[in-house]
Amino acid sequence: MGKKKKKRTQLPFRLNILFLIVFALFSILILQLGVVQILNGEEAQEEIDKTVNTSSKISVPRGKMYDRFGRIILDNEPLRAITYTPPKGGDTADDRLDIAKKLAEFIVIGENTDESNELNEMVKERDKKEYWYLLNKSEVRDRLTPEQLELSNSEQYQEMLEEITTEDLAELDWSDSLLNIIAIKKELDKAYELSPHVIKGEDVTEEEYAKVSEHLYDLPGIDASIDWKRKVVYGSTFRSYIGGITSSNEGIPSENRDFYLTRGYSRNDRVGESGLEQQYESILRGRKEVVQYTTDKSGNIVGSEPVVDGQRGSDLILTIDMELQQAVDQIVQEELQTAVEKHPYQNRYLEDALVAMMNPKTGEVLALSGVRHNKETNEYEDHSFRVIYDAHRPGSAIKGASVLAGLDSGVIYPGEPIYDTCVKIAGTQPKCSWMNLGSINDINALKRSSNVYMFHIAMRMGGGVYRHNDKLRGFDDDGFRLMRNYFSQFGLGVETGIDLPYEGTGFKGDIEFNAAGKLMDFNIGQFDTFTTLQLAQYASTIANDGYRVRPHLLKEVRQPVADKNELGPIAQSVNTEVLNKIEMDDGYIDRVQEGFRRVMQENQGTAVNYFGEAPYNSYKPAGKTGTAENEIYQDGRLVAHVENLSLVGYAPYDDPEIAFAIVVPNNGIIEGGGQHPINHMIGRKILDKYFELKAERAKNGVNLELKQEAVQDKDAETEQE
Amino acid sequence: MSSKNTNSNIDYSLIFIVLLLAIVSCFTLYTLGNYLPEKYSNTNFMLQQIKWYIVGSMAIVVIMFIDYDRLRQVVWILYGIGIILLTMLFFHFPPGIAKEVNGAWGWFNIPGLGTMQPAEFMKIFLIIALAQILVSHEERFKNRTNKSDIWLLAKIMIISLPPMGLIAVQPDLGSFLVLAFITFCMILVSGIRWRVILTLVGFSIIMVGTVVLLYVYNPEVVDNFTEDFGFEHVESRFQGWLDPYEYGKSGGYQLIRAMMSIGSGQLFGKGIQGFEVPNIPERHTDMIFTAIAEQFGFIGASFVITLLFLLIYRLIHIALRSNDQFGSFLVSGMIGMFTFQIFQNIGMSVQLLPITGLPLPFVSYGGSSILTYLIAIGIVLNINYRTKEYMFD
Repeated sequence: MGKKKKKRTQLPFRLNILFLIVFALFSILILQLGVVQILNGEEAQEEIDKTVNTSSKISVPRGKMYDRFGRIILDNEPLRAITYTPPKGGDTADDRLDIAKKLAEFIVIGENTDESNELNEMVKERDKKEYWYLLNKSEVRDRLTPEQLELSNSEQYQEMLEEITTEDLAELDWSDSLLNIIAIKKELDKAYELSPHVIKGEDVTEEEYAKVSEHLYDLPGIDASIDWKRKVVYGSTFRSYIGGITSSNEGIPSENRDFYLTRGYSRNDRVGESGLEQQYESILRGRKEVVQYTTDKSGNIVGSEPVVDGQRGSDLILTIDMELQQAVDQIVQEELQTAVEKHPYQNRYLEDALVAMMNPKTGEVLALSGVRHNKETNEYEDHSFRVIYDAHRPGSAIKGASVLAGLDSGVIYPGEPIYDTCVKIAGTQPKCSWMNLGSINDINALKRSSNVYMFHIAMRMGGGVYRHNDKLRGFDDDGFRLMRNYFSQFGLGVETGIDLPYEGTGFKGDIEFNAAGKLMDFNIGQFDTFTTLQLAQYASTIANDGYRVRPHLLKEVRQPVADKNELGPIAQSVNTEVLNKIEMDDGYIDRVQEGFRRVMQENQGTAVNYFGEAPYNSYKPAGKTGTAENEIYQDGRLVAHVENLSLVGYAPYDDPEIAFAIVVPNNGIIEGGGQHPINHMIGRKILDKYFELKAERAKNGVNLELKQEAVQDKDAETEQE
Repeated sequence: MSSKNTNSNIDYSLIFIVLLLAIVSCFTLYTLGNYLPEKYSNTNFMLQQIKWYIVGSMAIVVIMFIDYDRLRQVVWILYGIGIILLTMLFFHFPPGIAKEVNGAWGWFNIPGLGTMQPAEFMKIFLIIALAQILVSHEERFKNRTNKSDIWLLAKIMIISLPPMGLIAVQPDLGSFLVLAFITFCMILVSGIRWRVILTLVGFSIIMVGTVVLLYVYNPEVVDNFTEDFGFEHVESRFQGWLDPYEYGKSGGYQLIRAMMSIGSGQLFGKGIQGFEVPNIPERHTDMIFTAIAEQFGFIGASFVITLLFLLIYRLIHIALRSNDQFGSFLVSGMIGMFTFQIFQNIGMSVQLLPITGLPLPFVSYGGSSILTYLIAIGIVLNINYRTKEYMFD
């Protein structure tokens, strides 16, 4: 063994140095350990023991809605609910299954009956797999390959669920009671920590409620409480403006999630998604009750303390007169029905009749009514949203704006006579009034609805020089821009500013080709389209001496009070907002107002036959009729010529308190006349009703007990499912 | 050549220490049982660990029969195997078997056998290779000169840098530092003169100092460098170490939890299974010390550290006792390996050092590491066993 030669004396020395280093290192370890455990140990323990404070927000009922006289339109209905509030950090899946099993003894969340498969539809295959997984965790895990075991927990879970076969599922007897457990667990799974989630709301029976209440001690996180749902008092009346809210399953709209979350909403909060519910979400939502929970290190709640007192949402007082609204709905439906039944064939495209009524001085909207005749079911449905959505060519009704534009721009002077005979431009069809009216001035052009007068305003607006049967010389397309600008001052073609999330502004035609001809059409309401509300705002503006006010549905906000039958103090009231004042000589507006008056009050006025006699003349109405030619296309093919009938007006003309617009599109053309004058008939009856109610209220006060149609809110019904 | 009774040459105290550590390990794994994340719920780590201890003990028995001197004949084969395995990992080869864990390509997943970490074995192979280099150098150059010292240093570097490089790019900072420390210990005991060693140490300090200063005054340069070379995780570990609360989400999370757990153990600990800090990652492997310190406090933790110190002490004793240079060098390398691993593992959980993925020898759960360290112990026992004590030394 030759290797056994003597070591150099160096090695032991170096080894001792090494030992010294080792000793030093271990000493440092012990020293630092002492610092961590003995010096700072208590601190660490405190850190662990520190109780965690977490706050939870408890939803409060939304504000209600009332009409202008305090009649409730939208109410909250309390309903029994079984809720689940997971602890901080949430329960484990096994815990939830436990709770579900116990809860299933007391409540039934869905049933399979002969007619319905409710429960079977509720429990999807995935839910069954999740249940099977909970029973056979380790077995499923063993099926994973080593690669799968390297995946993240959630990916692994997915893989495991996929490993579960239908044969596996077939091992279990999927009885209704088991499915009930799984359906309950599925609801439990949806809850977020510390935020109550409704497990069963809509139809908790008294028995279920009582049984769960008795066993609360055994059901951690479960509570038997009171939830609410929206109740619409007048059925479909005004329903589309009230709007709807999301269900707690839908929660806040995902596209605006951050917007809502930063404003203190929880993911399963119900929020307004349309109509006034959406528009006034911030007022209606109220202030959530904030409760601070103290939890110990394992997440058990050891105490709770309210930090912010909850307050239910404030109530809205709307400008709507529900009694008038109901009556107008009724009138519109009757007249539409009369027209349809009188000429069923010619009126085969007549579907809608639309009415908007507002106070021209304050902008308070009194009624918005739209009825559609459903051709298939032959039923009349409330489509009141079409008043602000749908735009139609109004015909001559807008001539007031045309004349004012002419006067203000100086292309006509007040009282200028123009000889009404067909306008003929070389190479085009002649354009006429409904008859040759002879020499006519601005006021009478309105009274007798002269088209030719408007054509001349249009041609002059563009700087064109007209000679009979010659080309129109010098017409500048900029005239169109000028004209539309004038119209927009009346609210025609622009937003009216109504307090709703959406409103239509109509369609602006393309003026590329033959602008002069199109401007002439525009001036008689045969080109751009406008909504009924825009027309009402236009009528208001004329009635209101050129002040265009913003129409609004909200009158006041009232603070919530506990008493159900009382309104709280006013928190905010909506003032009249003038959007603009027509910048022109007041004398010009007076002329248009006079024209409007003559339409209804003087011989030869286009509506004198309907409004010139008693009792209608006593209301002192003024206004303008309109008939627009329209075409019905189907699959790009012209199938019928129809007429849009319209009427705008206000009353009384010396001190207007009501302005209205009526649009009935697509009336059939009846050879030789005889078409039901639906626009005039509606106009008469709504004025009748308005003044009748006024007189009645002056005498007997406001009738607060209206016929109610307590149809349950559709959305509220679904949300509890 | 007479020798004492062979029986006494088996170092029972070393065996006893390892046995105690094995008990500590298995008991701790037992107590951890239900406190590990759900994904481990199907594995009984204590039984696995016992299995690996049994396999390792059998390895020791086998090793005892072979004269460790034989290692000199196969040293380059072993070293070669180690380098080849690491190179394969570098190329992620063979696909499907080379495996990535937490971003580091450091494992082979051998179907049927489980996972294997070549870096662990490379530690032993490097020790043997360096010992071989030192001994053969010693035999060739009887007299030390500056020139021979530098030549020896060069040879050491040639041997140790390739595996260090391959491990660094996995990236496995911990194992890299272990190899570096082993190399340092071997240089220390190699007899290279102080002036050379001190120059080397000085040079290293300047290098590290430069990086630290750069980081303090111009972190962007360091950021860019670490990003370009794929060492972001190293940087985040350092950040988490220097300011765990600032970087609590990434590098500092593990440290905060570990410190809380160890600290709250205080002097006497919370008793068996008195765990109060959930979610400490890798608690059964790299972070097992937190489990001991939380349950048994400073006293229990010191006891384990003392056991580990006694282990090193026995190794030093054996190195000193051995009259064979090869044996002494081997044991020195082992000392370096164990010392650094222990210091790094415990040090990282008490904020002395940044967090790296290193197991605590004999205590942490892990087949490769237990096997490696028991083989190391086997070699040490073998050396001791074959040390002949001269009556008139």
